[in-house]
Amino acid sequence: MKKLAISLYAVVTVALLGWAWYQAIYVAPDEQTMHEAQRIFYYHVPSAMVAFLFFAISLAGSVGYLAFRRNRAEWAQISDAWALAGAEVGVVFCTVVLITGPLWGRRAWGIWWTWDARLTTTLVLWLIYVSYLLLRRFAAGPQVQTLAAVLGIFGALDVPIVYMSNRWWRTQHPAPVFGGGSDSGVKDPAMLAAFGWNVLAWLAWGLLILALRYHVERHHQKIAAQDAQDALDA
Amino acid sequence: MDQRAILDHQFVIAAYAITWAIQLGYLAWLGLKWRAQQRNARPKGRATR
Amino acid sequence: MMRALWTHLVKDLRIEWRSREAINSMLFFALLVVVLFSIAFDPRGAFSQQIAGGVLCVATLFASVSALNQAWAREIRHQVLDAQRMAPTPGAELFLAKVLANFLFVTVVQVILAPVFLVFYNLHIEGQAWLLAVVLPLGTWALVANGTFFAALSIRSRNRELLLPLILFPIFIPALLAMVLATTAILTGESDPTLWIKLLAGYDIIFTTASLLLFEVVFNAE
Repeated sequence: MKKLAISLYAVVTVALLGWAWYQAIYVAPDEQTMHEAQRIFYYHVPSAMVAFLFFAISLAGSVGYLAFRRNRAEWAQISDAWALAGAEVGVVFCTVVLITGPLWGRRAWGIWWTWDARLTTTLVLWLIYVSYLLLRRFAAGPQVQTLAAVLGIFGALDVPIVYMSNRWWRTQHPAPVFGGGSDSGVKDPAMLAAFGWNVLAWLAWGLLILALRYHVERHHQKIAAQDAQDALDA
Repeated sequence: MDQRAILDHQFVIAAYAITWAIQLGYLAWLGLKWRAQQRNARPKGRATR
Repeated sequence: MMRALWTHLVKDLRIEWRSREAINSMLFFALLVVVLFSIAFDPRGAFSQQIAGGVLCVATLFASVSALNQAWAREIRHQVLDAQRMAPTPGAELFLAKVLANFLFVTVVQVILAPVFLVFYNLHIEGQAWLLAVVLPLGTWALVANGTFFAALSIRSRNRELLLPLILFPIFIPALLAMVLATTAILTGESDPTLWIKLLAGYDIIFTTASLLLFEVVFNAE
């Protein structure tokens, strides 16, 4: 029954992605100044939204792990699985953002990159969570989860500081801002529709991948626990 | 002007293609990881589900 | 009250004084970095004032990492960490002592290196020179406090020396920005460094507090 539901969800997600793609490429009109290059926006911005959401989920997982690890071991393990899944899938989406962004910027504003608040913060977020994943891979010993959770919290503390410091820097040294204003001039209803469909589709896809990653991690945790138990019994 | 439109088009295709390469690549990696995990658990004669 | 802190601090300083291994290697490494940067980025003329701040900060960064990698090595070798865990004193005092000791070492390196730096880059300080004595310690504290904490995080990892800079540098980025901009503002006298000094101070307070609060968690997890 559950497998049927998941398969159905996956099919709907793929259909949504196809529909959103159609909307972005064929239905949405050409933008005035950026012409066709602006269509990258329909993949770039939804990916950014999903990435930030998943990083927030990862942070919640880290906090949850530290809070639950003494009293509610099972909840702590669940939290940790969300922390890892959120970080990893977040990095995947963030990588998409950091690659599609310069492609869009190059055609739309003539530059591959600029050190404004948004781009710098996205890059630093990506760096922080990649370092988080590296810690999880390389730190040995049974307490990897605790150490990773602490790093996750430190990383989250840093993000607002990065954003504000860059804003202040840019008030002193103004520079081009990718994406113009906050809405990027998306006012045409057909454009808004294409944007909305892509947000929905990428969110659905992201949640599917996130859930799969969570499931794989939980399975891994159970095997590791079983191994530890066997080693004790032997 | 036409040259510019061609380049715009190529960049859009590149952006979309790279996005899908990354997403599907990750999914594939996850699938391989899952299979390796299943295989590791099996020889020890343990129920994996 | 803070006797454990004092004991650890004096111990670290005394050991370092006898061997001087950390300071010597840091000093030489920092000097090398300054020379390399001078060759890579031509320090002649007005341009030198603009990049000198950045070079000094990056030189400090690399020099500190070489010291931080060894930060807990002695403790691991002699099972000091286990002894500390059994003692009733808070782990935070051990942590703070380590940070203070490393802070002093890096500051000594900076003080020795400053005249060398002034010579290589033909620097004349246009702004308020005394502010450098505020900016550099604040920046160094940010680096050493976070670095010592992350060194504790990566103690048990296989590639400990590689992992430390990988997890330290991303989080350090805003402090680096503030430190470079403040130093450049002071050297060139072209802008007001006050905002960046405040940012550095804020960063130090936030992360030192977080480190003190979370050190016990990390310490007992080892």
